[in-house]
Amino acid sequence: MEITALVPLVRRIVASRVRDAATVDDLVQETLARVLAAAGRIEPGMLEPYAIVTARNVVTSLWREQDRQRRNQHRVVDLHPSEAPDADVLAREDRDAVSAALRRLGERERATLLAHEVAGQDTRSLAAELGSTAGAVAAQLNRTRARLRVEYLLALEATDPPTDRCRPVLLALSSGDRRRQREVDAARHLLECGFCAGLSQPLVDRGRSRDDEIHVAVRADADVVAARQAAREAGARLGFPPTDLTAIATAVSEVTRNVVKFAEAGEAVIELLEEPRRGIRVVVRDVGPGIPDVAQALQDGFSTYAGLGLGLPGARRLMDEFTVVSEVGRGTTVTMTKWWGER
Amino acid sequence: MTSNEDGRATGRGPAEKSRDADVLLPELVAHLREHRTRLRQEWTTRIGDAHLLQAMTSQEVAAETTSVYDNYVEVLETGSVEALQHYARDLSERIIPRGVETHEVVGIVLLLRDVLARSLFEKYQRDFALLNRVLDAYEPAANRIANTVAVSFVDERERVIRQQQDAILELSTPVLPVRERLLILPIIGVLDSERAKQLTVQLLNGIRTHRAKVVVIDITGVPAIDQTVANHLVQTVDASRLMGANVIITGLSPDIARTLVTIGVDLSKMDTVGDLQGGLEEAERMLGYASAHPDGAMGP
Amino acid sequence: MSSGPRLFSILKQGPTLIASIHTALDDSQLERFREDLVDRIGRDRARGVIIDLAALDVLDSFATRVLRDIAEMARLRGAQTVVVGIQPEVAFVIVRLGMDTGSLVTALDLEEGLEHLAGATLPTAGPHR
Repeated sequence: MEITALVPLVRRIVASRVRDAATVDDLVQETLARVLAAAGRIEPGMLEPYAIVTARNVVTSLWREQDRQRRNQHRVVDLHPSEAPDADVLAREDRDAVSAALRRLGERERATLLAHEVAGQDTRSLAAELGSTAGAVAAQLNRTRARLRVEYLLALEATDPPTDRCRPVLLALSSGDRRRQREVDAARHLLECGFCAGLSQPLVDRGRSRDDEIHVAVRADADVVAARQAAREAGARLGFPPTDLTAIATAVSEVTRNVVKFAEAGEAVIELLEEPRRGIRVVVRDVGPGIPDVAQALQDGFSTYAGLGLGLPGARRLMDEFTVVSEVGRGTTVTMTKWWGER
Repeated sequence: MTSNEDGRATGRGPAEKSRDADVLLPELVAHLREHRTRLRQEWTTRIGDAHLLQAMTSQEVAAETTSVYDNYVEVLETGSVEALQHYARDLSERIIPRGVETHEVVGIVLLLRDVLARSLFEKYQRDFALLNRVLDAYEPAANRIANTVAVSFVDERERVIRQQQDAILELSTPVLPVRERLLILPIIGVLDSERAKQLTVQLLNGIRTHRAKVVVIDITGVPAIDQTVANHLVQTVDASRLMGANVIITGLSPDIARTLVTIGVDLSKMDTVGDLQGGLEEAERMLGYASAHPDGAMGP
Repeated sequence: MSSGPRLFSILKQGPTLIASIHTALDDSQLERFREDLVDRIGRDRARGVIIDLAALDVLDSFATRVLRDIAEMARLRGAQTVVVGIQPEVAFVIVRLGMDTGSLVTALDLEEGLEHLAGATLPTAGPHR
């Protein structure tokens, strides 16, 4: 069998996991190079399954780059720091994790996934067999892939998640379904759950388009400055006039300061909006004591800082939309938006 | 179509009509040239009777009607509206600033059409068939002229309006440097939040550009002040002060002053002077006082 | 924190201290600025203090409070404080934010600030009448 005949298969596997076209190309190349290198060692009929596993490994090792760096650290003292054995070990780990993850899928889920990904059966004929529609099968496949990614990551850790909320959150992140992420309050869970925060990094990186969303972790004084500068730069990219940029940066400064002052941890997420209009949205959430009386904290007197001193009324005046959701004992989420050209 | 018009049209197809125009229009043009003075005079009189072009003097009306008349006849003769278009645009440019309205321009062209049609009627009334043919030749041309003039006028008017809007936009940098270190910001019209914000930003930039120490904000032209506008005013004063400039507010009517006090604005924090003149005097006094300490106090 | 580029400088010119902030400061850096400056006012027996904010693109509630604190502490030590160099956008946003700046004496720039301290009394703080 010609290696080039594997290209469409490998490409499909990689492209279903990685969005960026250039990265897909790189990973396809890398997969084929590995398959080629191993071609002499495996039976002729095994080339295709080997390519499938290799493609998955290549993708997952991209996801685990950070993890790999961490794992490699202790090898600094190793007298034989060879790349190949390391790659082999990781490949074996990956393979085991993939099998474990596959085992955790439902019987029908797994059969459909394998038929599509390995045997290359298209969604239409799958739908005919299952008495469903192609769209429903595609959606089911997406959910299955999302689950597979989560189970794979859990299998790598060889542990069950610490809370009941972890799996739904990880699934929502893996599927990239923003509505579902909001429903399960994924962002807050990541602040609260260290296990998921570490585990979900590849999932979050995967689902994040780099340009329209900026995350800034907020823990210390310096993060307040970093967050407001990030917001100003994002706003400048959208073409906001200088006064609005200063207003946005100042509002972010006010709100993130509360995170540093009162909460253990938090983050600011800056999102550039095109719909329904151009604008910038900043979500600041924290894991903290929460605000018992939000209405009072937002109360606008003639002198703002006579109130609770959280700076919320002032920040609200600087933005066009401003909402505070807070739960005592859990934390606070401030969502604020400035529209371009808004009065 | 009425049966009368049908009857007029029967027996003469488009070919005959076009030949009629070829033959009759020159005859018609000759007639209008011959009686130019009388017809133009009649037209001018009827313009006066209809109270049109009242913004113009009688000499101006006489000059313009002569030109329009000559152009009109020329279009009938040549069939080319280009010259007329050009003239109509010129005319519009001259009369639009005088406040001449679209209905007046359309009105005078229709009057001219009527005056000329009547004279043709008089000339050909004895030969009804010929009269019909003459009017058939005249009317399309006359309508085209009326249309051209009206469209040119409206086009020109729109252009002028756009130009004026642009000029107003440019003028919306209303921060006026009166003398060294002194700015006036006359606010005219209704203030909404967006406009107040723009004015404030312009003023603050103006303060930096002109290194202003005193700003006179004149609100004589502001019809009413509500809570929002009052807050903006207070914020503008405070922001100016952060830039190192004192603000004097002038044109504060007793009514507005009462409103401000009612809604809780602390007028004692604002420097208010009754009218602009008084405000300027106060500003000069402040600046004079400031300049009594020469710059030499600080050295290079 | 003590290494790296200088975040602010405090220079003595006659009886006047000129304090310039060079870059955006976070809250703890602002607090150190306040302590350093107040300390210098006492040591140098300064009569006037100029705080130059020309390099700042944000002046939030905390920074404004720090400035007010400095002015008040300087006053108690017999020195007058003038804040200079506030950018137009920053001035606009401070008042929108609702900060009370009535007690701060301000001038356009360093030159105006020095002139003010030298005796010209425009603009004055708070109510004029």
